Amino acid sequence: MKTQVIEDLPLITLIGPPNSGKTTLFNYLSGKNYKTVNYPGATVEYSISKIQKKFNFEANILDSPGIISLVPNSPDEKISIDSLYSHPRYGIPDLVIITIDSSQLSRHLLLAKQLIDSSFNVLIALTMVDLLQRKGFEISAANLKDELNCDVIIIDGRTGNGVDDLVKAIDKNLKNLQAQEKNHPNQIHSNFNVNYLLNSFTEFEQIEKRVTSQIQHSNRKINLNKANRQLKVLNNDLSQNKNSQLDITTLKIDKILLHKVWGIIIFFLVMAITFTSIFWFAQPIMNIIDSSFGFLSFESHELLGNNWFSDFIANGIISGTGAVLVFVPQILILFLILGLLEDTGYLARGAMLIDKPLSKIGLNGRSFVPMLSGFACAIPAILATRTIPNKRERLLTIFIIPLMSCSARLPVYALLLAFLFPANESWIAGLGLASIYILSIISSTTIAGLVNKFRNRIINAEDTSSFILELPAYRMPKFSVVLSNSYHSAKLYFKKAGPIILVLSGIIWFLTYFPNNNPKIDSNNLSKDQITQLENSERLSHSYAADLGKFIQPVMSPIGMDWRIGVSLISAFAAREVFVSSLALIFKVTGNEHTLQTSMLHEMRKATIGNTGKYLFTPATITGLIIFFVFALQCMSTMAVSRKETGSWRIPLIQFFLFTSIAYLFTFLAVNGLRAFGIN
Amino acid sequence: MKTAAELKFGESATIYEIDKSHPSSRRILEVGFTPGQEIVLLNISIFNDPIAFSVRGTVIAIRKNEANCIRIL
Ligand SMILES: Nc1nc2c(ncn2[C@@H]2O[C@H](COP(=O)(O)OP(=O)(O)OP(=O)(O)O)[C@@H](O)[C@H]2O)c(=O)[nH]1
Ligand SMILES: [Mg+2]
Repeated sequence: MKTQVIEDLPLITLIGPPNSGKTTLFNYLSGKNYKTVNYPGATVEYSISKIQKKFNFEANILDSPGIISLVPNSPDEKISIDSLYSHPRYGIPDLVIITIDSSQLSRHLLLAKQLIDSSFNVLIALTMVDLLQRKGFEISAANLKDELNCDVIIIDGRTGNGVDDLVKAIDKNLKNLQAQEKNHPNQIHSNFNVNYLLNSFTEFEQIEKRVTSQIQHSNRKINLNKANRQLKVLNNDLSQNKNSQLDITTLKIDKILLHKVWGIIIFFLVMAITFTSIFWFAQPIMNIIDSSFGFLSFESHELLGNNWFSDFIANGIISGTGAVLVFVPQILILFLILGLLEDTGYLARGAMLIDKPLSKIGLNGRSFVPMLSGFACAIPAILATRTIPNKRERLLTIFIIPLMSCSARLPVYALLLAFLFPANESWIAGLGLASIYILSIISSTTIAGLVNKFRNRIINAEDTSSFILELPAYRMPKFSVVLSNSYHSAKLYFKKAGPIILVLSGIIWFLTYFPNNNPKIDSNNLSKDQITQLENSERLSHSYAADLGKFIQPVMSPIGMDWRIGVSLISAFAAREVFVSSLALIFKVTGNEHTLQTSMLHEMRKATIGNTGKYLFTPATITGLIIFFVFALQCMSTMAVSRKETGSWRIPLIQFFLFTSIAYLFTFLAVNGLRAFGIN
Repeated sequence: MKTAAELKFGESATIYEIDKSHPSSRRILEVGFTPGQEIVLLNISIFNDPIAFSVRGTVIAIRKNEANCIRIL
């Protein structure tokens, strides 16, 4: 991929079972910040980077999705195996580093053996030794080295412990390599038959016995005895089996979180708290940002005088982008909460609890994590479906992901909810937001169910469904990891959405300001404020945007709105947040020293449709708009990724037309339905 | 012969063999459910499916349908 790679440097590929610490090590060696998650299947795409200078040797390193064996079972696993045997650009790796979770030695050695038997040049990095110690065991890297006949180094990619030794071993290995011919690994898939598997596992059990031993410290022992007793209470006889003890804390937590009744109640509570808290937590930070943008816009307008340039800066740039930036705290909090959930290990449990209901509508428990990350952004969410082995379930998951309420919709909902509910009681708006999320979950699952009914017509693919998922041990989330993950997601968000919002704000400003940039009005007996207002409305009603608006007016009238909202809705197809910028520009929210949002809401409350005197923004039309945003597919990048992952334009086009027409239809029903009941 | 799907909550058993005709049998083996291993039924989700077993020092959730291919003693 793009980042600083030099092609003739040696290539080191990280391969290992899911959740064994590949990405953590990759980040440490490359200085990058890819996401690490306590869930098997976090990485779904390979990434490549140069090793940091401080390690004093030159090589490229490649991170890959976790695999259980060299026989792939799902698209993400195929990516790893393809990058091993036939990477189009980098060829066969000079060195393969296999990460092995030392607390799961007998399971994880399978992949190591397959790679060694395929005659790759390998080196083993043993991770999670701290977890093994918590179980009361220690491991001898030297003994394992003798058993497997390749270098074995104990590391912790989170702290960097042992990485120096690893680097030395890599360096030595690569230097030796230069002396000899590069070997060519053979694909011996057909030899990995059932007998091979069974014999291998018997061998691993022996190896595990020989290289691990109980820690002999006296004080450790007391703990261990206590631990063993607790374990016996939980499950009779497991402690006899030397190294196959489970993490006791995890067992205890799962007693509650996977409890038949409590489990599901807690599941819904966790989801509900996640979504309601977004609003409450964000409010104070939001207010600060809001008033600073209001101030900035006001001051720059005062400073630059009354001309088009001043208007461009104050309105086009500052208000246009500021109107969206105000909601960034909400997005950050969403990322933080999702990050906390990811780091604990709960996600795999969520997937297990929800597998049965999801399988009823043609999805899979493994759809849960992609759907949940769809609340942040549909693009990584669509990529995350690669962990779903069954193609039909994978396509169906991709199909409904655009309906999950992504973070780009947050600014829109936040503004509309702020219009509906009083600002001093943000908990009501919080509940409103939670209901929107629930609506998005209900609508996506309903649509999945319907599509599944007609599946042969829309999505056709083979039909053996399976669900096999490791439930990793719970971990106290490392706050530094969570913070850095959310910081980088937010940065990525800015990089992606920022320029679009800026450019579109500029365009919309132009369309609403010209050609009638110097309107003639009769200014007798009017105050300064009134003059500005009259000028603004005069300018807008003869602008390019208004010309454009005449075309869409017929579509907007049935849903009780006018061309001004129509133009904003169209601009939202570039990025949903632009809807907010666009409203800010059309309803001219500068010229007073209030906060940006307050004056925007103020202008919106005053707006009327044409000369009818009827208010444009009413509870009915606002509800209609919310519903429109719940369904409509207004994101080009989502369509592009959907095309790439499904292999043709068929699914993205169906998604686009289906979701957008549903959006229009339901908005129509909601607005007119509410009006029929007397709610305007 | 009993299968792992018939175990009760908290019950343990030793794997006798894996039914190789099942489409998931290979993955079941690869994740560590091999003959001779002791498994314990640790968790059952609300609709009785999937169920989670302890095997080789970790917990793995599988569907009942898949547990059916694990024959136990
Ligand atoms: N206790 C402990 N945790 C670790 C260690 N190394 C990594 N982790 C944690 O283990 C989890 C998984 O790490 P990742 O680096 O995402 O694992 P991965 O191999 O890239 O996983 P996939 O991409 O899903 O295949 C994260 O929560 C890490 O913080 C370690 O040595 N000890
Ligand atoms: Mg990873």
